[in-house]
Amino acid sequence: MSTPLFVRSVSLKVRLTLALSLAFLLIFLDHRLGAMQPMRMFLNSLVSPVQYLAVMPEQALDNFISQVQSRRALIRENDLLKEEMLSLQGKMQRYEFLMLENERLRTLLASDAREDRLRMVAEVIAVDSDPFSHQVVVNKGTRHGVFIGQPVIDAQGVIGQVASVGVTTARVILISDQSHAIPTRAAESGIRVIAQGVGDTSILELMHVPHSTELQEGDLLLTSGLGGVFPEGYPVARIQTIVRDESLPFARVRAVPVANLDRIRMLLLLWDADSDHQPIRPEQEADET
Amino acid sequence: MISRLMVQRFVIFITVLFSLILAVMPMTITLAAWRPEWPLIAMIYWIIALPHRVNIISAFLVGLAVDILLGSTLGFHAAAYAVVCYPAARHYPRIRNFSLSQQALLVALLVLLARGMVFMLEHYLNNAPFMLHYFWPALSSAIFWPWIFLIFRKIRRRFQMK
Repeated sequence: MSTPLFVRSVSLKVRLTLALSLAFLLIFLDHRLGAMQPMRMFLNSLVSPVQYLAVMPEQALDNFISQVQSRRALIRENDLLKEEMLSLQGKMQRYEFLMLENERLRTLLASDAREDRLRMVAEVIAVDSDPFSHQVVVNKGTRHGVFIGQPVIDAQGVIGQVASVGVTTARVILISDQSHAIPTRAAESGIRVIAQGVGDTSILELMHVPHSTELQEGDLLLTSGLGGVFPEGYPVARIQTIVRDESLPFARVRAVPVANLDRIRMLLLLWDADSDHQPIRPEQEADET
Repeated sequence: MISRLMVQRFVIFITVLFSLILAVMPMTITLAAWRPEWPLIAMIYWIIALPHRVNIISAFLVGLAVDILLGSTLGFHAAAYAVVCYPAARHYPRIRNFSLSQQALLVALLVLLARGMVFMLEHYLNNAPFMLHYFWPALSSAIFWPWIFLIFRKIRRRFQMK
């Protein structure tokens, strides 16, 4: 095969113009019109092998570590877990009692009883290296019944919501993303406030808080359930600082997310018990619901 | 016999796939901030080495793959990669004659340009705040360039890609 020194079948400028106009068309469609949402599902499924390949070394390392872990370390961990389980079971008894009581009281008040939620464990398979968007990819998709807007939590608190789904993967937008805001309510005072992400995994900013607010540093914020996306009562963040600068229209309130958003590995997808979307478990039938 | 063209395409595809995997591989936060712009480095190499096989349209497609993988608005990285690869494709005979350190400097500039462009788009369309550490990979990409260049050249010679 000959390799000519100068090859120009189509001029470079034409190619650049073509690429750029395509790119700007895509940006327009995706950003302005949001028209790429159905396309994204297909594209996400297309690139999911790359994401599965990317986590393989880490998973192999994890496997290796758990294989070579010493017997004693395992026994210790086992003891620790048993202890933890005992204390959790103790709490659980209390919870069951309270739940029954709550249900009774709610029937007395003639309001709807609250349904328990369905959960599914998902594992994070990719974290975005793009600092402008806080998203993680998890190993569950439409095949498992995941839907757009689904709330996602972990053992500590709210993580975020599902932004787009593929067949075997879903993209979760974190509450710290700069385009995400979550309606919350202070656990004690009951003040409703919206917590907005600012692009830093350890900070949420509370919007439109008047200077005269009763919120205090250290207050826990729970989901209020008002937006219709997140169910009520899950911990979101704890207020860290309140700056009452009278020259600004509102007090500057910063809160720290309860969940460690920068090191999530396992998380829980939530389903409403009575909604159209239901979890699909291909291999095992309802083990934890 | 499988045509040489097929083999070439396959090898290029594998290296680019590998660079994409490296781009999304989970890392600790401090290291991730220094993650070189692997897909762009791979594209710059192939554009300089095989300008008649890899061109601006391929850079655009790789940028699009990066957009999907990172979940950014479709077209951001695609546009940036296409623009940045234009000077590389335009001046490839000259760049080939650069020394490795000169090439590394050029790579740093190109990565900086690409990141700057993505940042501008993010800033005007998605209100992204300025983060200095977003531009560190320009430096790390330059540091890694000589090794990438040598490895890729070895691969290219191994498969007699011209």
